[in-house]
Amino acid sequence: MSDALDHDALRELIALHAIGALSGAERSAVESHLATCAECAQELRAFAPVGMALAQIAPQVDPPATLRAAILAAAQPAKTARTTSSIVPWLAAAAMLAITVGMGFYMASLQRRIRALEGDLRAALLRVEDGERRVNVAMRAAADAQTPVSVLTAPDVRRIDLAGQAAAPSASARAFWSRSRGLVITAANLPPLPAGRIYQLWFVARPAPVSAGLLTPDAGGSLTTTLATPADVPNPTALAVTIEPEGGVVSPTGAMYLVGAAQ
Amino acid sequence: MWLFAALAAVGDTAGAEADRLIVLRMAGGDHLALGELYDRHARLLYSLALRIVRERSDAEDVLQETFSQVWRQADRFEASRGTVVGWLVTVTRSRALDRLRQRRTQREGAADFDRVADSLADQSRALDLQLVTAEQANRVRQALAALPDELRIPLELAYYEGLSQSEIAERLRTPLGTIKTRMRQTLLRLREALAGAMS
Repeated sequence: MSDALDHDALRELIALHAIGALSGAERSAVESHLATCAECAQELRAFAPVGMALAQIAPQVDPPATLRAAILAAAQPAKTARTTSSIVPWLAAAAMLAITVGMGFYMASLQRRIRALEGDLRAALLRVEDGERRVNVAMRAAADAQTPVSVLTAPDVRRIDLAGQAAAPSASARAFWSRSRGLVITAANLPPLPAGRIYQLWFVARPAPVSAGLLTPDAGGSLTTTLATPADVPNPTALAVTIEPEGGVVSPTGAMYLVGAAQ
Repeated sequence: MWLFAALAAVGDTAGAEADRLIVLRMAGGDHLALGELYDRHARLLYSLALRIVRERSDAEDVLQETFSQVWRQADRFEASRGTVVGWLVTVTRSRALDRLRQRRTQREGAADFDRVADSLADQSRALDLQLVTAEQANRVRQALAALPDELRIPLELAYYEGLSQSEIAERLRTPLGTIKTRMRQTLLRLREALAGAMS
């Protein structure tokens, strides 16, 4: 409210201020305005004698004679006390200084402690992360190990032997396939792949062959791979391996390297 | 006449200068100086206190508090900010109004934080008040007495009872705007009376 008061409104209050009749927000507003407004400062000087006159026009009464002695007596020890008590602010200041310095040290030690804890936390997080990574690797390895076993022990597992064809007469492979659990294939003597080519395994079925996955033999032409196979694959008559462009194709395009009847 | 007696010691710049020197001595711990200051102004201050608190024992307490405060703060008094008598009057009126409000608060059970803050700040707000001459004071007294109640009472409630304008409006069951207008009107009249005395 006081902030909104403009010069005219404040000027109206100067007379009241001169007799000490303003309080709170109005008084503060007038005081800060007076600091910057010469006109209002002049107005205040004009009204100031009215305030003094109001103090002077009270019916004049002599104070009791004993009052003077009482006031002087009360002031005497106060003055002495002041000398003594003047040490109190110094003590307070010293205490504040001590507290401030103490707080400074405390803060510094807290900051050091926080930094140390942050370091510990980072290290712990790294350890946790590493642990998680190791667990994941182990779980994956376990899963990897688990899958062939689970395939081999599946009740519906079928063994399919594949024989090398014209392109690779010495190649051979053996596959174990469970419709529910996947396929494990081990192959040997596969010719090295030319750049940009890959072997692809197929379920030979009607109406069309269905891809079972890609095979990458090692330098010696051997491989053992576990593949997740579609559970809804039509009942295959055979498994075949062809050579295909890298990345694989939807239906076979290249030469057949291995083939084996599924029955 | 009482007014002349009250103003005999002061009312001119020589008096103001004498006051200033006394306060300087007080700041240096001169106990006799306090007695001199008392002798020069106790009557004026006691009368003002009594006009406000209405009871002699309270007025004596107010004077005790006033001189005690002035003694303690003598080394902080800055002549550039005002006159000694202006300071004394401001402190006396503040302490007296404090006492009045204490009574009111005890009765009504509510503290007024604005007032407390104002009262604490008073020591730094002494206006540059010069005592007016006996003739001027007399004119103001007569002018005030000649005013109709509706103009005189709001001013007296403000100055001698420390009521805010809204408290006055409430007390007199008069709109706040009317109170503001009337108080300003009254103060203008008193200023004219002072000016008349000066010319």
